[in-house]
Amino acid sequence: MMVQNSDILNIENITKTFEGVRALENVDFRVKKGQIKALIGPNGAGKTTLLNVTSGLLKPDNGSIYMNGQKISGMTPDKIAFLGISRTFQLVRLFTINNATVLDNVLLGAHKQLKPDIIGTIFRRGSLNKKEREVKDKALEILSFVGLEGKEKFLPGALSFGNQRLLELARSLMTEPQMLLLDEPASGLNDAEVDGFIKLLLNIRDRGITILLVEHNMKVVMNIADDIVVLDFGKKLAEGTPSQICANQQVIEAYLGTYGSAQECV
Amino acid sequence: MNALKRYWWLFLILFVIVYPLTFGDSPYKTGILVFVGIYIMLAVGLDLLMGYGGQISVGHAAFFAIGAYTSGIMTARYGIPPMIAMTSGMFISAVLAWATGRPVLALKEYYLAMATLAFNEIIFTLIIGLEKFTGGASGLRDIPPFSVFGFSFENHILYYYFVWFVVFLVIASSIAVVKSPFGRTLIAIHSDEQAARHFGINSPKYKTSVFILAAIYASLAGSLYSHYMGFIAPDDFGVMTSINILVMLFLGGIGTIYGPVLGAAFLKILPEITYQFQDYELLINGIILIVVLVFMPKGLYGVLISLGKFIFRRAR
Repeated sequence: MMVQNSDILNIENITKTFEGVRALENVDFRVKKGQIKALIGPNGAGKTTLLNVTSGLLKPDNGSIYMNGQKISGMTPDKIAFLGISRTFQLVRLFTINNATVLDNVLLGAHKQLKPDIIGTIFRRGSLNKKEREVKDKALEILSFVGLEGKEKFLPGALSFGNQRLLELARSLMTEPQMLLLDEPASGLNDAEVDGFIKLLLNIRDRGITILLVEHNMKVVMNIADDIVVLDFGKKLAEGTPSQICANQQVIEAYLGTYGSAQECV
Repeated sequence: MNALKRYWWLFLILFVIVYPLTFGDSPYKTGILVFVGIYIMLAVGLDLLMGYGGQISVGHAAFFAIGAYTSGIMTARYGIPPMIAMTSGMFISAVLAWATGRPVLALKEYYLAMATLAFNEIIFTLIIGLEKFTGGASGLRDIPPFSVFGFSFENHILYYYFVWFVVFLVIASSIAVVKSPFGRTLIAIHSDEQAARHFGINSPKYKTSVFILAAIYASLAGSLYSHYMGFIAPDDFGVMTSINILVMLFLGGIGTIYGPVLGAAFLKILPEITYQFQDYELLINGIILIVVLVFMPKGLYGVLISLGKFIFRRAR
């Protein structure tokens, strides 16, 4: 294992099989601190599976994942979240039961900082309320950072789809992550929303948060990615900068050509 | 108007205080409200577990039984002070909830319902089987009235106040729980447990915590029940009782705390109003439940809230 100080995430020889189907086969790459890395490839290439393995939702059959040199593969998602990885989902998964509001959703991201327990909740109201006020201020700040100011009292279902995606992002930012895993964050957004989204992701990177992003929208990928990994049928097909990927004949055949997205390459 | 919105519960407290002085100066009338109070504790506890935590339980009466029988056996058979017996019951319930919580709450939906039902049956069978301690099917008698440091609550009005004092503590602590980060955590687990885990929520730990809290409330209710009745029998704690508590939740409006309070009050007071139709009691209960579930999915509390909003709008 070669861990370089500049790496935040090392994915080493990950293999994951679903009932005989090889979803991932010896996938292997690293993500440098502070960069935006994009994971692209045709449908069924294993991109989401790789995010799920990284976030702890799935356990790899083989191989390991290290974050800052610490092995995280095999840990439960809540432990990995505590180490500073947060994620969004391909299909938006917000908390909606009991009329949970937009603000409630973002506040839930503060779980890591608050670590509520039942005895403290009933018997130590004073310190709890003080902490709660602090995280509330921060939540409002994050909501306006992603562009949802004034919507904190809405129900998540009342937001447009694009805004629900922003809310997921706000909730993840609330966890104070070192790294974000974003699963097709721009899918379902219109052109204007995509432009705003690109700016937002760059702003997040400027805050020092590393991003690993699965995305089909090549406009997003080519505009923001520092580095790209291409998966095809569970295997790593290529890795490199956007211009290298655009020039790669294999990638064009397997993915870019068929999607007609090669024109996004500049 | 806003003040009314914020402090309406003061009227409720006032009503509870004044009630025995005006209309209720008979053991029968305070008795109704004592039962209401006891069932409120059960329903509110289950609402934390189910309405907030999203974990169904069809065996909540098991902890009711543990509280009642721990208090009953310790005070009637061994002469231990009721306060110590009650605390022991709560402790036993908490330990049992802690020990069974992880494996049982790892199950979901129907499987969880079946497991909790089985848990209720096990406790029920144990009560009948351990005849030497529990009196078996014929019940446990001669449970003394509640007392603290030699001060007896034999007077029915005093006991009524004591029960309602505990009820308000249970409601207040439940409200504190649901309006806190802890409550938010429960809602997240209820909405999407997998997603919740990605935000650092150790869901088995939280599910077990709320299970323990609900068990403690139910045990407390059981102790208060046994000292009030002086006689307890296994039938008070069967699966039917658990289902009754569930009905209270849905009738009142699950996941609101106040809803189950209403539901418990409604279901316990209803038979007293319709006693002349006693033969049809089950039928009437059934019809009311169906009507509520079909036409008022948010329960009585939901109806009350809509009504309140309507009146406030009119007043403006």
